[in-house]
Amino acid sequence: MPRRSPPALQPAFPLLALDGRLQTPTRPLRSALLAMHHPLGASTGYMDFSRGDWAGMVERAVEVSTFAAELSALGEDELGGLVAFLEGTPRLPFHYLSVHAPTKRRRLADPQLVALLDRLPALVDAIVVHPDQITTPADWLPLGRRLVIENMDPRKTQGQLPKHLAPLFDALPDAGFCLDVAHAGAIAEDMGVAHGLLDAFGARLRQVHVSSLRAGRGSHVPLYRKDEARFARVLARCPDVPWILEAPPPRR
Amino acid sequence: MDPGSPSPSPLTALGAAGGVVFGALEAARRRTAERCDAARAVLAGVPRDRDVAVVLLGSWGRGELTSGSDDDVLVITTGSRRPGLRPTVGELQPVFGGASGAQGTFDDVVTVTELATIGLQEDSNRILTRRMLVLLESAPLLGPDVHRRVLAGLLDAYLGGERRDRRPPRFLLNDVVRYWRTVAVDFEAKARAGEDGKWALRHAKLRTSRTMLFAGGLLPVLECHHVTADDAPALLLSELLQPPTDRIAAAFLRYEAVDAGVRTLGAYDRFLALLHDPERRAALERLPRSRAREDPDFQECRRLGREIQQGLTALLFEREPLRRLIRQYGVF
Repeated sequence: MPRRSPPALQPAFPLLALDGRLQTPTRPLRSALLAMHHPLGASTGYMDFSRGDWAGMVERAVEVSTFAAELSALGEDELGGLVAFLEGTPRLPFHYLSVHAPTKRRRLADPQLVALLDRLPALVDAIVVHPDQITTPADWLPLGRRLVIENMDPRKTQGQLPKHLAPLFDALPDAGFCLDVAHAGAIAEDMGVAHGLLDAFGARLRQVHVSSLRAGRGSHVPLYRKDEARFARVLARCPDVPWILEAPPPRR
Repeated sequence: MDPGSPSPSPLTALGAAGGVVFGALEAARRRTAERCDAARAVLAGVPRDRDVAVVLLGSWGRGELTSGSDDDVLVITTGSRRPGLRPTVGELQPVFGGASGAQGTFDDVVTVTELATIGLQEDSNRILTRRMLVLLESAPLLGPDVHRRVLAGLLDAYLGGERRDRRPPRFLLNDVVRYWRTVAVDFEAKARAGEDGKWALRHAKLRTSRTMLFAGGLLPVLECHHVTADDAPALLLSELLQPPTDRIAAAFLRYEAVDAGVRTLGAYDRFLALLHDPERRAALERLPRSRAREDPDFQECRRLGREIQQGLTALLFEREPLRRLIRQYGVF
């Protein structure tokens, strides 16, 4: 009797494409840590091949989760297209939607950039900003509670530690916090910085960025097995917020 | 801590564990206590039968009075309905003359026997609502001993036939779930019937205070997993004598989910602060459904509601043994 092949992994989520048809997932989650968490979502930041094609990137994000997503406009020249896409009221399935604000090719002064970000429709729950993009905190007050500040990796000179971020949060009392667990893990192998950030700003935590970092380059790559173990205790303190994958789901 | 001072409430303890103060919630508790003291002073000369309690419900019962709270009160007797029962609802008018939350639900005399009409045709929507609010969010204005007997009587009505150790009582569990689902269904039914007045405010409350109330009822029932059938009534009574936010805060502490608990109660604290602002509350009351999508305060309430739900979901589904209990009992 021929041996039966083992059943395929069950999809973590039933998928809903933009046109409303159910699809089979292309990337079932093989990481127990990620598969157990809810809600999980994808950042479009790793979808370099589709840059500018927001509908296409949303469909890719939907393949990971219909519950949460982050639309990433890392280049300032991408933001206008994203605002236009969202103002077109696409039928998005996400319960939680964040937008990553520009970090590259900045030309606008802060007040003009904030005005553009503030145009993002109300379905956008959070606007993630790197601290080094904030020149004058008061300029960012109009974003209110939608403003979410992310901790930085070791390549930056500021924004990694609680003492760097505290003055920003003092000036922006409604702002939330996005823990980038890989950034914090790159600063302290024992995850002490990550725990310190949660001790200081955990009450503001709105989402977590989850990935590993490519050694020496700082670019986000799928979560390594060793990092899954290293990050586990930190992530256990964040069971209630969306985890946004900044790299494709691991396929190991 | 001074050994003579009372131990902090679970809400305060959760805040202390997370390094925060739930300012709006704590202020609402103080405000409620002060208003209750003032009400008792006004009603000091009003006679009260020995089997009667004046019971506060809604935000009064939860200890969450805000500037626009309704006056939700019932006169409850452990005895029989009879002529001459004191105090009458009219005698409470000097204190509770304001708006009442739900039409016909409050400002009435009711007996425990009537409240304990559980299931089948005679258990109307009104009886279910009164019974659940008395169980889940009531506090005594007058007659705390009678109020305690009311709760014990209702629990007895649920638990009387259940004698299984270390099992959440199904009859009570199903009724708590039924009430939550009824609230949610009735919310939509009202909207479809064209009762769109206060839609946005009702939607916001459904996702925040109603959600908290449901979780605050669900958690004590699941706690019965830890005790024998003989001990379940006392456990439930001691839990239900606390405000829902204390029950929930205690669960976050008990199951070592302080971080998520701080965020969950923090989101609820923000909602309460918004509700306490007369202008923002009034604007929400007036906001039609068609404009809710663009309204910043409505969207803020939606986000706070999501954060509350996420926190409660994490508590119930990602902490042992709750995740096993909710899997075993939460759906079927």
